[in-house]
Amino acid sequence: MRFERSCREVTRLVLESQDRELPLADKLALQIHWRICDGCTKFKNQTELMREAMKRWRGYRDE
Amino acid sequence: MSEFARQVESLRPQLLRYARSQLRNDAWAEDAVSDTLLAALEKPQAFGGQSQLKTWLVGILKHKVIDQLRRHTREATILSQDDETDVDELLFDANDHWRDQPQDWGNPEACLGQRQFFEVLEACMEHLPATQGRVFMMREWLDLDTDEICKELAITSTNLWVLLHRARLRLRECLQQSWFASRGQTA
Repeated sequence: MRFERSCREVTRLVLESQDRELPLADKLALQIHWRICDGCTKFKNQTELMREAMKRWRGYRDE
Repeated sequence: MSEFARQVESLRPQLLRYARSQLRNDAWAEDAVSDTLLAALEKPQAFGGQSQLKTWLVGILKHKVIDQLRRHTREATILSQDDETDVDELLFDANDHWRDQPQDWGNPEACLGQRQFFEVLEACMEHLPATQGRVFMMREWLDLDTDEICKELAITSTNLWVLLHRARLRLRECLQQSWFASRGQTA
């Protein structure tokens, strides 16, 4: 099993994790990649911010 | 007109805006809202008053919007004419590294506490190509899971993953350009 992923692959996985539970091997690969990649770590943080933003937006819209 | 009917009618513009943003088609949106108002006025007793009138109506609207999507999916227009730009090619070089490193968006509360941020967010969603926008909103507003979206739109999961992937990358790019770039580091 290989745990090295490119930034492009990591980006795809981070986005897919918004819509499905990732397999354990992918989760581990992400953790390993984030330790050494500042750009992908920032991308992950951006994605988390967007997730929270969408949650609040849904609340504002529906209430 | 009864007071109830007046209150329901007064929410029409807002419901229409919501329906348009999901359906990306004015005629379908009008139908979804008319169906919603009709259902509400035919069964006012179903509104128990436990929630806000708007919350109740939005709940009905979501079902009517799905009915519209289901109906018009059969016209097979839902996947055609969407933007086919491979956003990945713009973001990554031949070695699959970032062309431009993602920026630090700072402390989330700095933007999430601002009304204008959500206006920019909505504008960015509206700028998504129609089909990407529809599936993204089905996921984020109608709160359907990916299997349900595939079923309602009669599309393959491969198609759906590509659409969601592109929609999210475009939304991120739009937020970067329209909000974060002009505000610099907020951390």
